[in-house]
Amino acid sequence: MNPETLLYAKTHEWIHIADDGGAKVATIGISAFAVEALTDLVFMELPEVGRDVKPGDSICEIESVKAVSDLYSPVEGKVLEVNKPLPDSLETLSDDPFGKGWIAKIQLTSDAGLSDLMDHAAYQAACKEEAD
Amino acid sequence: MPYIYNTPEDQQAMLAAIGAASIDELFESIPDELKLNRALDIPPALGELELEQHVRELAGKNLHAGNAVSFLGGGSYDHFIPAAVDAIAGRSEFYTSYTPYQAEVSQGNLQAMFEFQSMITRMTGLEIANSSLYDGGSATAEGVLMAIDTTRRRGQVVVAGTLHPEYRETIETYLHNLGVEVVTIGPENGTIPVSAITSAMNDQTACVVLQHPNFFGALEEAQAIATAAHNAGALVVGVFDPISLGLLHRPGDWGADIAVAEGQSLGTAMSYGGPVLGILACGKKLARRLPGRIVGQTTDRRGKPCYVLTMQTREQHIRREKSTSNVCTNQALFALRATIYLSLLGPGGLRDTADLCLRKSRYLAKRLTSAGRFEMAFDAPTFKEFVVRDKENNVEELISAAASQGLLAGVPLGRWYPELADCFLVCVTEKRTKAEMDRLVEFLEIGAATTNTDELVAARI
Amino acid sequence: MKNTHDTKLIFELSKPGCRGAVLPACDVPSPDGGCDASDWLPADALADAPPALPEVTEPQVVRHFVNLSQQNMSVDTHFYPLGSCTMKYNPKRNERAAAMPGFNEVHPYQPEETIQGMLEMLYELQEILNEISGLDACCLQPAAGAHGELTALLVAAAYFKDRDFKDRGEHRTKVLVPDNAHGTNPASAAMAGFDTVTVKTNPDGGVCMEDFRAKLDSDIAVFMITNPNTVGIFESNMQELADEVHAHGGLIYLDGANMNAILGITRPGDWGRAGTGGADMQHYNPHKTFSGPHGGGGPGAGPICVVEKLAPYLPAPMVVKKETGYSLDYDRPKAMGRVRAFFGNTGVLLRAYCYLRTHGPEGLKEVSENAVLNANYLLAKVKHFLPVPQGGRCMHEFVASASKLKSERGISAMDIAKRLLDYGYHAPTVYFPMTVKEAIMVEPTETESKETLDAFAETLFRITEEEAELLHDAPHTTTISRPNEVQAARNPCLSCR
Repeated sequence: MNPETLLYAKTHEWIHIADDGGAKVATIGISAFAVEALTDLVFMELPEVGRDVKPGDSICEIESVKAVSDLYSPVEGKVLEVNKPLPDSLETLSDDPFGKGWIAKIQLTSDAGLSDLMDHAAYQAACKEEAD
Repeated sequence: MPYIYNTPEDQQAMLAAIGAASIDELFESIPDELKLNRALDIPPALGELELEQHVRELAGKNLHAGNAVSFLGGGSYDHFIPAAVDAIAGRSEFYTSYTPYQAEVSQGNLQAMFEFQSMITRMTGLEIANSSLYDGGSATAEGVLMAIDTTRRRGQVVVAGTLHPEYRETIETYLHNLGVEVVTIGPENGTIPVSAITSAMNDQTACVVLQHPNFFGALEEAQAIATAAHNAGALVVGVFDPISLGLLHRPGDWGADIAVAEGQSLGTAMSYGGPVLGILACGKKLARRLPGRIVGQTTDRRGKPCYVLTMQTREQHIRREKSTSNVCTNQALFALRATIYLSLLGPGGLRDTADLCLRKSRYLAKRLTSAGRFEMAFDAPTFKEFVVRDKENNVEELISAAASQGLLAGVPLGRWYPELADCFLVCVTEKRTKAEMDRLVEFLEIGAATTNTDELVAARI
Repeated sequence: MKNTHDTKLIFELSKPGCRGAVLPACDVPSPDGGCDASDWLPADALADAPPALPEVTEPQVVRHFVNLSQQNMSVDTHFYPLGSCTMKYNPKRNERAAAMPGFNEVHPYQPEETIQGMLEMLYELQEILNEISGLDACCLQPAAGAHGELTALLVAAAYFKDRDFKDRGEHRTKVLVPDNAHGTNPASAAMAGFDTVTVKTNPDGGVCMEDFRAKLDSDIAVFMITNPNTVGIFESNMQELADEVHAHGGLIYLDGANMNAILGITRPGDWGRAGTGGADMQHYNPHKTFSGPHGGGGPGAGPICVVEKLAPYLPAPMVVKKETGYSLDYDRPKAMGRVRAFFGNTGVLLRAYCYLRTHGPEGLKEVSENAVLNANYLLAKVKHFLPVPQGGRCMHEFVASASKLKSERGISAMDIAKRLLDYGYHAPTVYFPMTVKEAIMVEPTETESKETLDAFAETLFRITEEEAELLHDAPHTTTISRPNEVQAARNPCLSCR
C-alpha cells in the first residue's frame, strides 16, 4: 500500500478503508515510524477474530526487547481477519509495515473515530514533533 | 564509624569542591520543620566485640536443630547441607553482587541461574522454570494468578484443604481484592477425595491447587485429581516437595500445569522460615505469563554462547501496572545453593535421601504408634511426615515438655485444623538417627504414663 | 587464564557413576519387612528413575562454581555505583551472626519458649524501625521491597473496607503514582486490586502539583511517593502533598527505597504540617539501607511500618513483649491475611538488626550525611562533562544524562555503562528513570572513599573523550562482549536440553 494515501492515528496505526460489497472494511497496521521507534521486535500477539472494538481499545501488543506497545483500534467495528503468519515472521513487520506487515481487518459498524485520523502530511508533521 | 572512610579533612575538601559550607547545607532542601532535630531514640552503638557478645547471647536463648533433635516439618526441613554448598555460596563474588543487569560482568550468576532453571525443569518434568521467587507460599499464590490470567476464568480457584495452611492463607490474601473466590475442599481421612474436586468444578474454575505429598505428609490421588481438573477445563497448580522427587513422579508427570515448591530443603538453612526459595515451573504455553526473572542463553557479538536476563517485557520495570507480577527480586543466592546441592547429590543422592526419609519416618511411625497413647491419624500412605493423634488430647503440653528435653517433637495442628487439636505433625529427615528416634519414643512413652506434665518437666530438669 | 573446561554447563561435566555426596546407610530396621519404596508407597505414585540431574564429584562442583564466581563483579571486589540499589559494603560481622546455629537452624514452628532470643531480636527491630520512620507499628513479614508495597496496599484496602466504606457507601479505587516511580509501585497497586493513575513529574523530578491536583479526587485510596525521589531530590512539596491527600481521605505510602539519605535526619511519619501526620505507611529495603548482601538478586526483605490507625490490619503474627517474655500475637481479627509462609526473612532482618546496633543514633545519621556528601561530591566532579538536568545538589544519588553526547557524538548511556566495565567499575543504573533521556543514575553510598570517587570521576571523564567506535563495541576486556538480547527474547532458550 502507498503510505501517502493512508490515514493515521496519533498512536501510529495506519488505516486503509475499502468498500467490500457495501460493508466498509478497515485494514490496519503500524507505521514505519512506529516500527523504527520500537527497535528490534521480538514478539507479538494478534487481535482476537470476532471481537467488537471501539476507537482507543487496545487490541494487541507488540514487544521489543525492552518495550511493549499497545495497538489501539482507530475505528469501531468487528475484527474480521488477522495476518496469521505475522507473529512467526516479525521481520515482515519491519521490512514492509504498510504491505505484508498488515495486522488486522476490521469491519466498521460506525464512523466513530474516523474524524480523528490524520492524512499523511499531518502524520509526518506529528512524527517530526515527537522525534524532537 | 566502621564502614565510612571520610576523615574530617576529606569532608572539608569535598565540601569545598561542592561549594558548600557544611554537611548540613546539603540537607537544605528538606524544610526545617520536617527535620528531626533530636537524636533517634534507638539503642546506642556497639563495637564489633560487643555486638558479637550481644548476638551470641540472643542466639544462645534459642533451641535449634544443632542443640536439639528436630522432628519438625510442615514446609521447613532439617535436611543435611554438604559443606561445599556453604563454601561456594559464601564467596563474596556471589553473595555481594546484585541482579545481573550487566551481563558482561555477571556471567557467573547468570550461568548458575540457567543451570538452576535447567535442573528445575528436569525435576518437575515441565518445560520452563523461572530463576526463583520469595518462598513456597508466595510462589503458590503467583501460580494461581498465572492460572487465572491464562484461563481468563475469574470465578473461583479450588484449593485442597490439605495444602499448607499458610499457603492457603497467602492465596486468599492475594485474591482478596480481585473478585475471585477461593473454594477450599475439606480433607477426608487426611486426603482429598477425587469426587469432591469433580463436584466443586464449574466453567469458571481457573485452577485446582493440590499439594502432593500434602501438608500431612500423605500422598494424594494426584493423577486422578489432575484429570478431574483438566476435564473441567481448569489448570492444575501442583505443590511438591523437591526431596520427594527422588522417589515420586514429577509434578509434570502426574498432570500439574504449573509446579511450585518451597526449595529450602535443597541446601538452604531453615533460618526461622526465611529467607528461603520459591520455585515455579510451567509448560511452554504459559511462558509469557510467568512472573519473575528468567535467564536465557544467547550469543555475544563474537558469537560466543552466553547468558542474559530475558523476556523482560513481562516484568514490572517495563510493563508497570500490566506486568505479570510486581516481583522484582529473586532468591538468587538460594537458587545457587539449590543448584550446588543438586549437583552434589545427583540423581542417586536425591534418591537415597528420599529413600532414607521414607524408611526412617516409617520406623518412627511404627514405633510411636505401638505404645498405646498414640495412633496414626490417617490411613493414606505417607512420605517423610505423618500425623499422630494423642489419645489423651494433651498435645501442646506434650510438645512443650519434650522441648524442655531438647526434643522438638512435632508441630501441633490445632491452630489450623481445630478438629485436629489432638494431633501433631511429625517429620523425619535423613539426618535423624535410630538413637534419636528411640529417644523421642522413650520420652513420649514416659510422657504418656505421666498425666501431670508440670511434674514431668520438673522431674526431668 | 579463563578455565573454559570447568565452566561448561554442569550437565556437560556429568559422567555416569560420579557422586558428590554419599548418604549414610540406613540405620533402622525395615518396618513391616519391606525392602524398597514400593512396599510402602503405591506403585503408581513412584517414578521409574530420579530426575536427570548431573553426576559430578565434589571437587568438580567446587571448581565449576568457584570459576563461575570469578566471572562476577561484586561489592567486595568492585565499586558498584548502581543508582537506586544502595550497593554499600556488607559487613562481615553481620554474616557471622546470621550463620550462628541459634538463628540459622531455628525451625519456624518451634514453641515460643524455645525462641526467646529470636523473638527479642525481632521485637527490638520492630521498635527501631518504627522510631526511624516516625510511625507506630511494624510488620516484618514481607520478603522484599515490592512485597512490602503489596502488603501495605492490602492493609490500606482492608482499612478502607472496614472504616471508610460504611461512610461513603463506595470503595476507593485509585492509587496515584508519579511517572518516575519504580515499576513495582503501579504493579503492586494493580495486584492489590486498585487502578493506577499516573501523575506527571517536573523536570526536577518533583511531583507536578497541577497534574496531581487534577487527578486527586475522593476516589483516592493511596498516593505512593518515593522521597527522596528517583532523581535524588527531596520532594519540595511534601507537606502540601500529604495534607491534600489526607484532606481527601487518602493515605500516603512512602516507597522507602531511598531511606539511606535521611536516617535520623527526617522521618516520613513527620512529613505533614504540624499535627496532621505525613506518610501513613512505608517499607524498608534492609538489603539496601541496612547493608544486607544482595546475593546476586536476593534475598531481600521488605518490612513495613504504619500509623496507629492501620495497625490492626497488619498481617499476623507480630512479636509482642509480655511480662513472661516475648510472644507471637496471632489474635488479630482485622488482619488482612498473610503474604507468605512463616514469619519473615529473619536472616536478612538479623543482618539489619546487627547493622542498626552497630551504628546507633549518631552512627545512622553519619551514614546518611556521608552518603549525601559522597553523592554531592561526585555530582560536583561529574556535572561539568556529563550534564545533570536536575541541578546542582542532590541527596544520596543523582541522574546524569548522556543526551548531549548522544546527539553530538552518538555516544549513548549504554556505551558509557559498558565502557566502565572495562575500567573495573560496575555500571551505574542506565535508562531509569524513563523521564530522563539517556539517564545515568549514580549512587556512590557512604562506604566509598574520596579517592575511589576521584578515580571514578576521572575515568568517566576519560570515557566521554574516547572515540565513539571504541565505546560502541565496549566492553572489550570482559569474559563476553555484549549479548544478543534480541535473539534471547525472540527465540528463548531457557534451559539446557
